[in-house]
Amino acid sequence: MTTSAVNLRAVWKRFGKTEAVRGIDLDVPDGSLTGFIGPNGAGKSTTIRMIMSIIHPDEGSVQVLGADAISAKDRIGYLPEERGLYRRMRVMEFLKFMATLKGLPAAGLDARVNAWLERVQLTDASKKRCQELSKGQQQKVQFIASVIHDPELIILDEPFSGLDPVNARLINRLIRDLHDAGRTIIFSTHVMHQAEQLCDRIVLINRGEKILDASMTEIHARFDPRTVQVEPSSHNPAEASRLGALPGVERAQWNPERHAAELTIARDVDPQDVMRAAIALMPVRTVELRKTTLDDVFVELVGEAMPSSEESGNG
Amino acid sequence: MADRMHASPMRRIWTIAFREFRHTVITKGFIFGALVMPVVMFAAIAAIGMLIGMQMTPVAGTLVVIDESGTVAGFAAEELTPEQVAKDMQDTLKRNSALKSWPGNDVAQQATASLPSIDVKVESVQDATRVDELRAKVQDGSLLGLAIVSPELLNANPKDAEGNDLTYTLIVPTRSAPRLTGMLEKSIAKAIVKARVQRVGTDYTSLQALLTLPETSVRRMSTEGAEADENAIAKTLLPMGFMMLLWIATFTSGQYLLTTTIEEKASKVMEVLLSAVSPMELLCGKIVGYAMVSAVMLGMYGALGIAGLSAAAMGDLVSPGMLILMLVYFVMAYAFVSTMMASVGSAVNDLREAQSLVTPAMLILMLPIMLWLPISEQPNGWIATISSFIPPAIPFVMVLRVTASNEQIDTWQVVLSLVWGFAWVGAFIWGGAKIFRVGVLMQGKPPSPRELLKWIRMA
Repeated sequence: MTTSAVNLRAVWKRFGKTEAVRGIDLDVPDGSLTGFIGPNGAGKSTTIRMIMSIIHPDEGSVQVLGADAISAKDRIGYLPEERGLYRRMRVMEFLKFMATLKGLPAAGLDARVNAWLERVQLTDASKKRCQELSKGQQQKVQFIASVIHDPELIILDEPFSGLDPVNARLINRLIRDLHDAGRTIIFSTHVMHQAEQLCDRIVLINRGEKILDASMTEIHARFDPRTVQVEPSSHNPAEASRLGALPGVERAQWNPERHAAELTIARDVDPQDVMRAAIALMPVRTVELRKTTLDDVFVELVGEAMPSSEESGNG
Repeated sequence: MADRMHASPMRRIWTIAFREFRHTVITKGFIFGALVMPVVMFAAIAAIGMLIGMQMTPVAGTLVVIDESGTVAGFAAEELTPEQVAKDMQDTLKRNSALKSWPGNDVAQQATASLPSIDVKVESVQDATRVDELRAKVQDGSLLGLAIVSPELLNANPKDAEGNDLTYTLIVPTRSAPRLTGMLEKSIAKAIVKARVQRVGTDYTSLQALLTLPETSVRRMSTEGAEADENAIAKTLLPMGFMMLLWIATFTSGQYLLTTTIEEKASKVMEVLLSAVSPMELLCGKIVGYAMVSAVMLGMYGALGIAGLSAAAMGDLVSPGMLILMLVYFVMAYAFVSTMMASVGSAVNDLREAQSLVTPAMLILMLPIMLWLPISEQPNGWIATISSFIPPAIPFVMVLRVTASNEQIDTWQVVLSLVWGFAWVGAFIWGGAKIFRVGVLMQGKPPSPRELLKWIRMA
């Protein structure tokens, strides 16, 4: 039986008249890599802060690693969205300070910190003051601070925000390594492709409510693909109207970048029938059933009035 | 999994406290401000004295006194011998009420040691028509000075026709140092008085002995009949010294606490910390850390003060009981100030915003400074009694009262102030912790006092 690393029951949080979290029930399975997604101001960070017992719910219960959140603090690693360091502290000293707060004994701390600095390619930085580091280096130090004590549950709020592609890839790999080592990871983002790439489970929060909680496999099954992409050998846009006339096709649109027609098919029609009909109708280079992206799911559930997925923000 | 021990709340509090202490005390700023600066100030004061002494040029030259009687110059010559100038200076210093009780009167002897060498010849001129010639000599620097004493000034009652006091004229070169001018002025004035006394046929030394005011030995008697010496320094300066010591020790740390809390909020490190510790543990850690900073300052300056008093043979003014009470009131004062500063620091975004919230409490805390004199003079008076029950000024006023004079304050008042004061400390910590818990995660507009009360209710 799968146990839950995080268990929320009917959790409410209000700030004045604003209901930031509205009766959320949530189970994060042990060992999962769960993505918290949602638009800015949806309640993601508030939910995370309640899991971390930084703030307390007005109603409902929060259980983390089988205990109340406060007593489990040493077993949780947390990278907050608003990151900070003691600017005048040296990197080694800061990381040892954080590790001590998390209950690690003083013996062997230097070696542990050095090993992590080596893993994130910051070996030269141990004696530097935090303020002397670049923004990307500071983020890596903050990442180490959240995992230095080898926590069972790791919560990362927008871990890639502000990172260049090289460092983003490095952090991505570290998250995968931690997941492979059996850690439970909750990863909050509003960049859908990152969540899709990393997570095996998605929780979508909007306006303080959970509107989706499923594994990626369940999501792909539930949000059945309805688009067939056909690339005619002729690359002729006029072919789109011929394809649009096929039975079961509701709409056909030419995509000039892919030199292909995108066919939206009716709900009760088997996409395989449409694909076979397209091949029979004209010579084609490729025919594919487009996989549902998290972006598609997000837009379908939350609505079109969403900010672009590349915008930064908090949730 | 890591070889993790359970981080108990005490361990977390101590880790935070030690970090705060280390990063405050072992810094160039603290070492310079709290340790080096006072040493530099004392050294500067000593150096200034030395420099003045080194700059002093020997006083040598001729002073001419135009006086028809011809008596004033002789007396002036007596007054301007090096021995007499030194003796006058010592007498003046000894008459000073504060230095009077300083053991051995070493200060007076040390002060006269800084006098320049003196070699002044005094020449008497009875012919008043030579004024212009002698003025020219002053102008070209060949004379130290020229004193013009009118014959009427030697009368028993030297007044002019309108009844105003008569004056004598002293002409000196422009470059003449004020200290030299003052010395000449005083010596000639004294010589005129001696000449007057001689004219009426009286012996000046006998008359001076008759006119010398006797020194007073005040003995203060308690209601129990015990008698003790009155000490002007103990009565006025000691309570102020103790209170200022308490003030500096608590407010320096309080200021550090305020600024570091604001910095932690501004640099966003607060949420990182709160992922590892609870707001209450963070608050306690910070308060304990800066308590150690405060204790270092109190210990350092307090030990210096007590060493100074002991060196001046006044160590008996500070009893062990007084020191213990001082320590208890220090704990109370620090608890008030630190809770206030930490909660305000958590609620605001910068120091400017903090000022508006701290000002009302600061006005109350200024009370002991403003009422220092009436409280020190009458430690059992109604002003002292009432103000010693107004939080958060309680510990500061009580330190003034406890260390004031030889007068004992009632034990029940001390006990009541401790009970009442620590009850208020409890209330401050309770409210401060609630404000801190809400404030550390708040951003944007600073709260009004009404909103702070709301935070206390909602947290």
